Amino acid sequence: MESQQAAYELSDRDREIYGWQLDVPGLGERGQAKLRSSTALISRVGGLGGPLALSLAAAGIGKLILVHGGELRPDDLNRQILMRHDYLGKKRVDAAAETLRQFNPHIEVETVAENFNEDNAADLVARADIVFDAAPLFEERFLMNRECVAQRKPLIDCAMFNMEGQVIPIVPGETACLACLYPEVPEHWKRRFPVVGAVSAVIANIGAIEGIKLLAGMSGVSLNRLIYFDTLVMKLQKVEIARNPDCEICGEL
Amino acid sequence: MTLTMDYTGQLASVTGVAEEQVEVGEGECLLDVLKARLAVHGEKFGELLFDDEGGIRSTLLVVLDGEQATGDKASVSLSGVKVVMLMTPIAGG
Ligand SMILES: [Zn+2]
Repeated sequence: MESQQAAYELSDRDREIYGWQLDVPGLGERGQAKLRSSTALISRVGGLGGPLALSLAAAGIGKLILVHGGELRPDDLNRQILMRHDYLGKKRVDAAAETLRQFNPHIEVETVAENFNEDNAADLVARADIVFDAAPLFEERFLMNRECVAQRKPLIDCAMFNMEGQVIPIVPGETACLACLYPEVPEHWKRRFPVVGAVSAVIANIGAIEGIKLLAGMSGVSLNRLIYFDTLVMKLQKVEIARNPDCEICGEL
Repeated sequence: MTLTMDYTGQLASVTGVAEEQVEVGEGECLLDVLKARLAVHGEKFGELLFDDEGGIRSTLLVVLDGEQATGDKASVSLSGVKVVMLMTPIAGG
């Protein structure tokens, strides 16, 4: 994870704000400096992307690029914790950015008020060190996966359903990509599905942790593992996954 | 032998259980076991598992004792396997 991360000197303010995590083994000043010089792209700032962005902001990421089209609806509010009831009808990405800037004014937040698509994919991924996938549609998720593989950028794929969720850290060329696991759009997936907000926040934070470890150069990233968490019975499991040598997206790497 | 079937996502919703024990005959492959479960759990369960040709869907993750089954999932041997976990794709939102 040295690709775009510029050399960064921690300031006294950084040491004050992030002091508690500077003592975390494996993170330290070196890891924090990497975080401070990193840019993370988050596709959709809803139930997963919102808490994920908040945790990256708290950790002192250098810059967040929030990608999300559409306005806030009442049925978003059970899980989209960067929003507020008085934002209803407003652009979600603006609401998310406002909350994040209030929470941590020392990070940069850029907004893109449209969803990840064929026209913006290459440019958006090129500007990030890491991508977090929190999108509801597989067409969008596959596009993100394809672009991250093409540009060799890590992708943290986060998903949820009911009281369950999963996170797949993808490092192109090293791990299975999303298309290795799902070679086509799943026929039965629906845009709207059941989920509790607390569950989406837990899954989002597992994704944030994996991303922070990758960016900061820490050990323990769950490579070639799908992290599955069933919060109904509090079962956490790491499933061993494998690259598909015939994968149309990453098979040639 | 007795096998534990773990269902996640939409599969757990349609079966109403996250886990069940099933008896598997000697030499039975995954497709045999899933067809037997189809008789119990019904059409919606089958739609999530099988494609139009009756094969196991390409998007269904089959996990045997914590490890993803690769290659031809239908004919995968269950010999010595204790837990089969079936995972349908899920996303964000
Ligand atoms: Zn692949």
